[in-house]
Amino acid sequence: MTDFATQLGFRGLTLLTFLPIAGAVVMLIFMRKRPSAYKATALITSIFTLALAIYLAAKFQTGTSGFQFQENSSWIAGLGISYHLGIDGISLLLILLTTLLSVLAILGSWNSIKDRGLAFFISLLVLETGMLGVFVSMDLFLFYVFWEIQLIPMYFIIGIWGGPRRVYAAIKFFLYTFVGSVLMLVAILAIVWWYAKNGGGLTFDILTLQKAGFPVSIAAWSFAAFFIAFAIKVPMFPVHTWLPDAHTEAPTAGSVILAGVLLKMGVYGMIRFCIGFFPQIAVRAILPVLILSVIAIVYGAAMSLVQPDMKRLVAYSSVSHMGFVTAGLFVFNQQGIEGSVLQMVNHGVLTGALFMMVGFFYDRTHTRMISDYGGMAKPMPVAAAFFSLFVLGSLGLPGLNGFVGEFLILIGTFQYAKVFAVIASIGIILGAAYLLWMYQRTMFQQANEKWLTLKDLSAREIVTLVPLVGMAVWIGLYPHTFLNFLHAPAQNILSQVQPYLAEHGGGIAHLAATLFGGN
Amino acid sequence: MPGGDVLAIVPELIILVAASAILLIEPFLKADRTAVMAVALTGLFGSIAVSLGLLGQNRVAFAGMLVLSDWAIFFKVLFAAGGALTLMMSSDYLESQRRHIGEYYALLLFAIIGMDLMAAARDLMLFYVSLELMAISSYLLAAFFRYRVRSNESSLKYLLTGSFTSAIMLYGISLVYGQAGATNYAAIENALRGQATGSGTILAVFLVAIGLAFKVSSAPFHMWVPDVYEGAPTPIAGFFSVGPKAAAFSVILAAFIVGFPGAAEQWGILFIVLSILTMLVGNLFALVQTNVKRMLAYSSIAHAGYLLAGVGAMGWSKNSYPGETVLIYLAAYTFINLGAFGVLAFLKSQVGAKFDYSLKQMAGLGRRSPWAGVLLSLFMISLTGIPGTAGFIAKFYLFGSVVWANLVWLAVIGVLLSAVSAYYYLRVVIVMFFKEPEEELSISGPMSGGMAAGLGITAFATLRSAFFPGWLWDSIVRAFGTLFS
Repeated sequence: MTDFATQLGFRGLTLLTFLPIAGAVVMLIFMRKRPSAYKATALITSIFTLALAIYLAAKFQTGTSGFQFQENSSWIAGLGISYHLGIDGISLLLILLTTLLSVLAILGSWNSIKDRGLAFFISLLVLETGMLGVFVSMDLFLFYVFWEIQLIPMYFIIGIWGGPRRVYAAIKFFLYTFVGSVLMLVAILAIVWWYAKNGGGLTFDILTLQKAGFPVSIAAWSFAAFFIAFAIKVPMFPVHTWLPDAHTEAPTAGSVILAGVLLKMGVYGMIRFCIGFFPQIAVRAILPVLILSVIAIVYGAAMSLVQPDMKRLVAYSSVSHMGFVTAGLFVFNQQGIEGSVLQMVNHGVLTGALFMMVGFFYDRTHTRMISDYGGMAKPMPVAAAFFSLFVLGSLGLPGLNGFVGEFLILIGTFQYAKVFAVIASIGIILGAAYLLWMYQRTMFQQANEKWLTLKDLSAREIVTLVPLVGMAVWIGLYPHTFLNFLHAPAQNILSQVQPYLAEHGGGIAHLAATLFGGN
Repeated sequence: MPGGDVLAIVPELIILVAASAILLIEPFLKADRTAVMAVALTGLFGSIAVSLGLLGQNRVAFAGMLVLSDWAIFFKVLFAAGGALTLMMSSDYLESQRRHIGEYYALLLFAIIGMDLMAAARDLMLFYVSLELMAISSYLLAAFFRYRVRSNESSLKYLLTGSFTSAIMLYGISLVYGQAGATNYAAIENALRGQATGSGTILAVFLVAIGLAFKVSSAPFHMWVPDVYEGAPTPIAGFFSVGPKAAAFSVILAAFIVGFPGAAEQWGILFIVLSILTMLVGNLFALVQTNVKRMLAYSSIAHAGYLLAGVGAMGWSKNSYPGETVLIYLAAYTFINLGAFGVLAFLKSQVGAKFDYSLKQMAGLGRRSPWAGVLLSLFMISLTGIPGTAGFIAKFYLFGSVVWANLVWLAVIGVLLSAVSAYYYLRVVIVMFFKEPEEELSISGPMSGGMAAGLGITAFATLRSAFFPGWLWDSIVRAFGTLFS
């Protein structure tokens, strides 16, 4: 990368990561008492961050699997900790998703946050820095710092601006993630120590440690510690119980960011660390992960079916959709991995949009109960149209983005073992059921008289939704733009696990494959 | 060389002069205590300046009784800084309690002299005498509100349990003397070297260890802590939780590494066991507290448990790295905890007698006094060990060293219990920011300069060392190295 910007000493990733927090500082110092000024600053900051992310995507070279835009300077030299940033195609897509959803989250909560607005928008921007930091870190210590730091603003967002049970949801969210994180911290220390003791020198550099080749004795339980931390975040069955509470109680922007980005950090961590550091263990974990994933798919969908609360329904549908993502990742073939990462983006777009829509309805009706709605298509036809699009995308209608991701994942899973693909498809059927049923009960059927006078979506709300529609259609019709970023990283992952796949990829999975077919 | 001997204790002499001066000028002052504060702070900062000027020296003084080295200077600076912060945060508080008298300042300075000498001591006798100087000053400080039952109870409990464990420790010291024929750390090591570590030695070492475990508030010798902290003046409770504790840790490290390396495995195991107990007791009891001051008392027990894990790992692995991490933990903890108690002292001085430090009364504080709310949240988050604060750096180094000592399971216990601690620390944040106030407590007055400076310094230290711990770590490694020379 010897382009002009680099020659000027352009530290794109640093700028990207810390731009939101810089905006927050400006707001805190200069605009304490002026809501319109700080809201505008928050919006402009996030738009600039998005623009920068798009610029980086344009400069990104898709053909290579290496990390790009790297910055590396020593931070705590005595411990081999460095300020090392870099992105590959997977991080890039997630960065684009993060920056886009941050803009929309700010725009979407423009009028719905009445109390302590300054603190709210500052929290959102600090959260954005934390999330971006997770995706750009190439140093374990730095990664851990960002990983944990984003807990604090999210904790406040749920706890201060959330629904009636917000305190319970906030502390549950925090404790679940924190327990996983501290175990991961011990595993980080252990693998760094092992590497140092075996002559590698003290380093927290992710790329260096990926080449370390940890022995099974260390790798097995380190993998477990990392995996638990990330599985809680994803969340996988059975550690998903924090999610319905947190998503339901969080304010709209909080739910959008939680579902849209925070869950993806878990899968991202699995890709980078569980697979990157311990490929030999990851291949042995295929079967348990797949079983947990399909349980999540079916269980999440079944739970969605019976939820009386719209927001809770969308929350449980996240459990189901994230099950697809983990399943696709752990079948270890090109389609599965690419589908998995793409599905993360899709889920971020669609679930973010669904939460946003529920938030818009809630702003008007102050209820989330499906039974309180009915016939909303009459007073709010535009909203109903948008809602239908996102519902259809979410249930996997061809032509929209949800289909592409799920299709790729199912192909990948099918190649590994047919039985899992078959069970996962049940999740899709159930998905169509709960989504369409909810849509029918809220938008059609007998109109509730109370809502007949409601105003349709405002221009601001439409502006918030249009980019999500754009993304849904773009990915649905021409996924190549995005898959293009994923070919090289997916191959990279495969080359890491390939040596072990033949050896250990079988086991019980092989048994299952011979029993149920597959190739 | 007598001149050199005196040079080795100049930092303490400066504090001594300041303390004596306070006692002398106090009767001539009217209500205003600014002069007393000025003398005390001058003494403490003078001591810090002289200590820093003496960096790099290695002065054996008073026939090997004490050594002035970077090791001792690290603690002298830490203690003087902790003392100065405590005093800055005390002024308003004492004023509001109508008991603003010079003895408070003088006693604190005397306690610091004792702590300084403990860290510099290389002899069990000097260590014991300085410990008593520190302890007696502490008993008096705990009883500072002598018309209050709570304060008297606090002091009496402290005195009785303290004397009891002092006696046990003294017995241990006499056993050591009986076997080694010496009280100097290095001489003890010399005498015991080559011998098989017999049960007599282990008993003696354990008795000394138990005395020190009491001072660092390790379970099962922790019963005094909550009551003493609750009854003592709030800034003094903060001081107790960091100062005397750090001094006792300095002795644990110095005496056990230099004096009893032969029994390292045994005392390593002892401290590991104590550590697990202490972490459990501290964290689990803190969970059920409804009073923030008592919660911080149990939290200080929990932190003693983490620190003991480092000490245990050091003995177990016979490696100095965990010891160094104990120092960085002590340094970080000093600032964080003083800050937390400082905010409580500020609230007490603002609200007055009605304020009883209960969680209920802190509801909605974030709205009424945003600065106090934000600062207390920062300190709570830091005590939890979230990145971006000194508390994380401290835990990172400490548990790192425990893992490196091949005690992964101990680190797992430690981090899981610190996840438990998130619950009670964050509960303070919850009531301050997520709850509406139940009763209106007026917080109107401005923050005094001293309080603002004290809180500002602690908050700054908490944040700065989180991102740039390098220099602190380097100076600790240097200081630790001088322990062996």
